[in-house]
Amino acid sequence: MTEEFEPTIIAFLCKWCSSAGSDLAGVSRMEYPPNVTPIQVMCSGSVSPLYVFSAFHRGADGVLVSGCHPGDCHYIKGNYYARRKLSLVKKLLEYVGLEPERFQVSWVSAAEGQKYTRVIKDFVNELKPLGPQTKLRRSP
Amino acid sequence: MVNIDDLKTEAKRVLKGGNVKYIIGYGRASDTWKANPVFLRSPEDVDKLVWDPTCFHNLVRFLVDEKRRKAKEKPPDPRPVGIVAKGCDSRAIVVLLQEKFFERMDVFVLGVSCESTGMIDERKLAGKTAGKDVRRVAFGEDQKFVVETDAGTLEIAASEVLADRCLDCIANVPVISDHLLGDKTKRTVANPFRAVEKMESLSGDDRWSFWKDQLKKCIRCYACRSACPMCYCEECVVDTINFAVTAETSAEEKAQRIKWLEKSPVGSENVFYHLVRAIHLAGRCIDCGECERACPVNIPLRMLNKKLEKEAKELFGYDAGFDADQPALISCFRDGDPEDFIR
Repeated sequence: MTEEFEPTIIAFLCKWCSSAGSDLAGVSRMEYPPNVTPIQVMCSGSVSPLYVFSAFHRGADGVLVSGCHPGDCHYIKGNYYARRKLSLVKKLLEYVGLEPERFQVSWVSAAEGQKYTRVIKDFVNELKPLGPQTKLRRSP
Repeated sequence: MVNIDDLKTEAKRVLKGGNVKYIIGYGRASDTWKANPVFLRSPEDVDKLVWDPTCFHNLVRFLVDEKRRKAKEKPPDPRPVGIVAKGCDSRAIVVLLQEKFFERMDVFVLGVSCESTGMIDERKLAGKTAGKDVRRVAFGEDQKFVVETDAGTLEIAASEVLADRCLDCIANVPVISDHLLGDKTKRTVANPFRAVEKMESLSGDDRWSFWKDQLKKCIRCYACRSACPMCYCEECVVDTINFAVTAETSAEEKAQRIKWLEKSPVGSENVFYHLVRAIHLAGRCIDCGECERACPVNIPLRMLNKKLEKEAKELFGYDAGFDADQPALISCFRDGDPEDFIR
């Protein structure tokens, strides 16, 4: 029996909403796949496109950027900037031929532990049939 | 047509009046048919100026260097620098103004209109001259270029030898200028994104194999970075220079140093570099095509830049380099920005 492919996901979670949301999922003992490596950032707007490219470069199979819902940003408008910037990143990655499913953005508030687990579950389910990400991965 | 004498007269006038520090324009080295950048410092120098279809350089790059030089001047010379700018170059100036890289009064723009033609592509021209040495290229009548070669003079239709960027150009007339030469009729381009759309119609895997093969060629000479008027970061992500290396720094420490990417010209590192370069130019690239022209291994870099230009236009209705008072693409937002990709 062959072992099932387990994707590695790097999740950039904003400190004020998504990170707290993932925490809520944890303390509420909700179950979700253990494929995620969360990285706390101060704001989704602080996520440079470089972080995303770098995560893929170092072997992530999927990258998630998650922040507060529009209007709820702790810094008032960080997530609006993120939305613009990341939509361009997504388009660019698709354009060079990376599968669009591999880069996801979501809005998860501090109260949405349930939504966080759902986002991760869906993400993992979408990544599994794609197999390992080799396109942008650093050559050995 | 732009009359070179008008350009010389105007350049002479401002140089004589001492209104400008110097003028950056196009001249010619003795042994070549291509125009070279030339710096005019005295009124007598203006005879060096030329204007022909080989003036493809984007001279705005020199304004970036000028700013660095000015910072070291004691006392700084407050006079503006004159520059001969085509439509695309003037858009580059607008983007730099928008980013407050310099002030409007720091630059004196001698705008030249490309009218209904533009600049030639050396590679396309080489295909037309059948190995003969080119001596001169000049603008001719009826959108034709007059090419003087060793074996006589040829007339070639502009559309056959124009650079791709000129075929897709949406600003043949300079956007800003202090003195504008040539016809001011704006030209319309049916679809400046043809090549990008063709690329988009391919499947993801086909696109990847295309880009993989193209970017594999990159030798990381950074000519694209050096030619680009927008690449002015003090420290580029690819060369990490702020790491103090002393006599005590061990080899291991140097190797362990965290860096975004390796310098070696390997496929994966090249892809990373070019992705970063492209995203840094999102909403800033004015499609002067200098990166592609400077590339020694013919990577179609414009295709990457053009894609983001297209997205900026389609998603956010943004055209780079037309309005210096407008905020830059990613330093502003609207409530109604597209959100369909977010979960």
